[in-house]
Amino acid sequence: MSETSDVLIIGAGAIGSAAAYYLAKRKISVTVLEKSEYIGNGGSSRNGGGVRQSGRHSAELPLAMYGVKNLWPNLSQELGLEVEYCQGGNLRLGKTEAHLKILQGLTANCVAGGLDMRMIDYREAKEICPYLSEEVIGASWCPTDGHANPLLTTLAFYRAARKLGARYVSGAEVDKLVKNKGRVTKAITADGTEYEFGQAIVVAGYDSGKILATVGLEVPMMPLLMEILVTEDAPRMFTQMLGTAMADFYGHQSTHGSFVFGGTHGFEPYAEYGETKLTSVGASSTCRGIIGYFPVLSDLKIVRTWSGWIDDCADHIPVMGNPKETPGLTIGCAFSGHGFGISPVAGLLLAQLATGQETALDVSRFSYDRFRAKV
Amino acid sequence: MKRYDLIVVGAGPAGLSAASEAASLGLGVAVFDENAKPGGQLFKQIHKFFGSKEHKAKMRGTAIGAELLDEAQRLGVEVFLNSPVVGLYDNREVLVRQGDAVQHYKGDGVIVATGANENILAFEGWTLPGVMGAGAAQTMMNINRVMPGKNILMLGSGNVGLVVGFQLLQAGSKLAAVVDAAPYIGGYGVHAAKIARTGVPFFLSHTIVKAEGIDRVTGAVIAQVDEKWNVIPGTEKSFEVDTICVAVGLSSSVELLKMAGCEMKKDGLGVIPIIDDDGETSVWGVFAAGDVSGIEEASAAMIEGRLSGLAAAGKLGFVGPEALKNRKEELLSALEGLRDGMFAPKNRGKSQDSTSEGLPVSKCLLANGFLDDSETFSYPGVKSVPGLHPVIECTQNIPCNPCQDACPKGCIKVEGKIIALPVFDEKSKCSGCGLCVASCSGQAIFLVNEDLGDGKAAVTIPYELLPLPAKGAVGTALGRSGAPLCPAVVTEVKLIGAFDHTALMTFTVPSKFAMTARFWKNEVPA
Amino acid sequence: MTLERNRDFGDYVPAPDDDLVICRCEEVTKGEIRQAVRDGMFNVHEVRRLLRCGMGLCQGRTCAKLVKAIIARELNLPAPSLLDATARAPMRPVEMKVFANEKGL
Repeated sequence: MSETSDVLIIGAGAIGSAAAYYLAKRKISVTVLEKSEYIGNGGSSRNGGGVRQSGRHSAELPLAMYGVKNLWPNLSQELGLEVEYCQGGNLRLGKTEAHLKILQGLTANCVAGGLDMRMIDYREAKEICPYLSEEVIGASWCPTDGHANPLLTTLAFYRAARKLGARYVSGAEVDKLVKNKGRVTKAITADGTEYEFGQAIVVAGYDSGKILATVGLEVPMMPLLMEILVTEDAPRMFTQMLGTAMADFYGHQSTHGSFVFGGTHGFEPYAEYGETKLTSVGASSTCRGIIGYFPVLSDLKIVRTWSGWIDDCADHIPVMGNPKETPGLTIGCAFSGHGFGISPVAGLLLAQLATGQETALDVSRFSYDRFRAKV
Repeated sequence: MKRYDLIVVGAGPAGLSAASEAASLGLGVAVFDENAKPGGQLFKQIHKFFGSKEHKAKMRGTAIGAELLDEAQRLGVEVFLNSPVVGLYDNREVLVRQGDAVQHYKGDGVIVATGANENILAFEGWTLPGVMGAGAAQTMMNINRVMPGKNILMLGSGNVGLVVGFQLLQAGSKLAAVVDAAPYIGGYGVHAAKIARTGVPFFLSHTIVKAEGIDRVTGAVIAQVDEKWNVIPGTEKSFEVDTICVAVGLSSSVELLKMAGCEMKKDGLGVIPIIDDDGETSVWGVFAAGDVSGIEEASAAMIEGRLSGLAAAGKLGFVGPEALKNRKEELLSALEGLRDGMFAPKNRGKSQDSTSEGLPVSKCLLANGFLDDSETFSYPGVKSVPGLHPVIECTQNIPCNPCQDACPKGCIKVEGKIIALPVFDEKSKCSGCGLCVASCSGQAIFLVNEDLGDGKAAVTIPYELLPLPAKGAVGTALGRSGAPLCPAVVTEVKLIGAFDHTALMTFTVPSKFAMTARFWKNEVPA
Repeated sequence: MTLERNRDFGDYVPAPDDDLVICRCEEVTKGEIRQAVRDGMFNVHEVRRLLRCGMGLCQGRTCAKLVKAIIARELNLPAPSLLDATARAPMRPVEMKVFANEKGL
């Protein structure tokens, strides 16, 4: 069986579906293939929901700022589904002078990139968020940061793209890409179905690696399994996205009232890729982190924990672009755990890249060509 | 990390049996249960169980629970209560909430015996207070000694609905009706019959339309359904009830197994783990026993638990291959006996039209909950002979045989398989001891003397309602359908230790009612 | 299983019991679930992520089968073909301070 579309998108995550949406909106025929049975089964539905500019790499900062300025504010309206975008600011907390040094460094970088971000003292932080532990001595503050619901954002792009005619096939795992006379023209799925295309976008998280390898591309990334916990709902307390200098935890309170917190425990690189199991210590470690900064949350009950894979790039920023050696192919992967906040803009840029349009922002720093030996 | 040879999750019939079997072979065993009391559902099962001696037949669930707990304690099993297992992680690590902490434990083997949850039915008003699972009602009355309600509608005629329905009557509630969308009773006919003869109507091919009430249930409307389960307009019936019990099946509580990565298979709308005949899942050293591995009865759960406990012991080198093989065969054969029954997984969904003896199963029983008076003589337990004799109204293949063992005179035979219908040997001589009546977990055995000589007959019935009537009390004899037949005088009420709380009440009726009067109500007909 | 996500459901026909609450923890109705299916949510996971049914305190122990049956009916598929929801720790809600207090490591 052979099927044809202008653009084939491999991966129905937030970014793949955002690309599908922006393409379908331009009346370009799009097919989206999803390996799993679920839309948004990867990191798209498994992240802390930060829509954050602060703390970003200088290459990513313009994307984050573009999204916050141009895409996120109207996204619910545009997609016809409430994605719970809340621009409550980002507080990154510190308890020691060493913490403050880290925060000052992050702040300086972002200010240099033109972001409204500054250091604040305990008093001001407490005014912004009255529930802070008294051990906090200062924080970085970015008032235009915020958070959104990753589950809803992903499904909203999917739903809107589908309504505009984008074709979605789930349970369709791409085995390989095939070149014809030097151009990548075809993807073949596990059941043997061939999907022909004018251009393909590979936006399949860590799985992008093995798909790209079938046409000789190699992206240096490693899978990390991150854990998140969700609490019962509580009355409205915070609107901010929260984090700490040491990244003990990060998270926010959702519109629904439950808190969503992620954290690290040190075992992230050692999980067996593919499964989304949990460690027996992750939730405990995140809880200790949270209580250390927000003792008021001690009695709140955790109702669920879950985990998701990060495609962590060697230099921790994504790969986006059209590699010269594979005409017909656009790459968008290795978002390194901070893809959700820039998912609308990344989708937009990939849609532009795939159709030869001028991109809204410079993407040269995400080029596939950047990986070279350092000496 | 605290390590045990075997960790068992759930102190119900399967879990405790597993723990004891393993501990008896020398394993260090811990059992974690989230409840304040052990026993799982056993301690609310105040009825007598089916089975044979090896299955603890004719014992009440409460007594079986006490016995299992005794055994576990005697064998040194550590039972931790108020200890919900929070998660089952890789390498059989078990995280348990205990007090104000989470405790990490490791088991060389882990047996998950977490039982099942009740299914729910969504209908208009189902979220009103007063709508509850039948199992929840059973917990309220039998564990917490709180009446779930005064007037109750039972949705579901499976064994849970029937058993709990009868227990609600015992607790003093009124049962307005038993309702089921299926055209036939879902549970054992004998369980239905003991409700029907008290006068409770069965509405088969009926479903609930709505629960009525503003801030709690004050009534219910049911209606007949066609063969496509659609309500037939105009067939609505209203009941004034304060409680609606939902008994529409159970779902295995498989969350821990799923979390541990065990391979699952479809089971109706849910899933159950794929296990071998030891109960071992696809994950090394993780077993599933009891309802969590597929809904069956507690008697089966106990054997499954023992099989898993034994297999864990074998896996960890606590028992040699020969002993392992022998014990396993013994347990499997006990399980096989139970699994010939009509509710065993292999027989589920099969036609109940006839018994393994080739006798037709009463359509009246299946549709109304009671045998038609004209049908009783077609079964081998019912014969008309002079003098006192047992009448065994056991008409389906139930894996149960205590009646045979109970009779000191050899009047009753359950021949061949344990599911065979009991046969009354009319050549034998009944002494009238009544042990068979009390031993029948289905309350389906009666003693009848069809002709006392004065045109009257004596009928002895099992009676488990309070208060017990006094000798000489005048009431009404009811037929199998619960219809009043005639006035009846209580001539004897007998309750000895061997009867285990089942009183034998004898009343006299005109001889023509000897083979039809099967219940006695403390009301004089108007 | 390969599943084509674009299909014509025809016009939405309201059912008399569309306002029936199915997930009581999160107060999700049958009509909302039906509509979600037509919006492309083809399994328990997607419907749950869109509507929160099964995300409350009971984590879907009560409503999961009901939701599954509604989705299957709307898709005109046998219900057992729909994958089951995932199970995650904690099996019972646990306070943060308790989770933070690990013993026995």
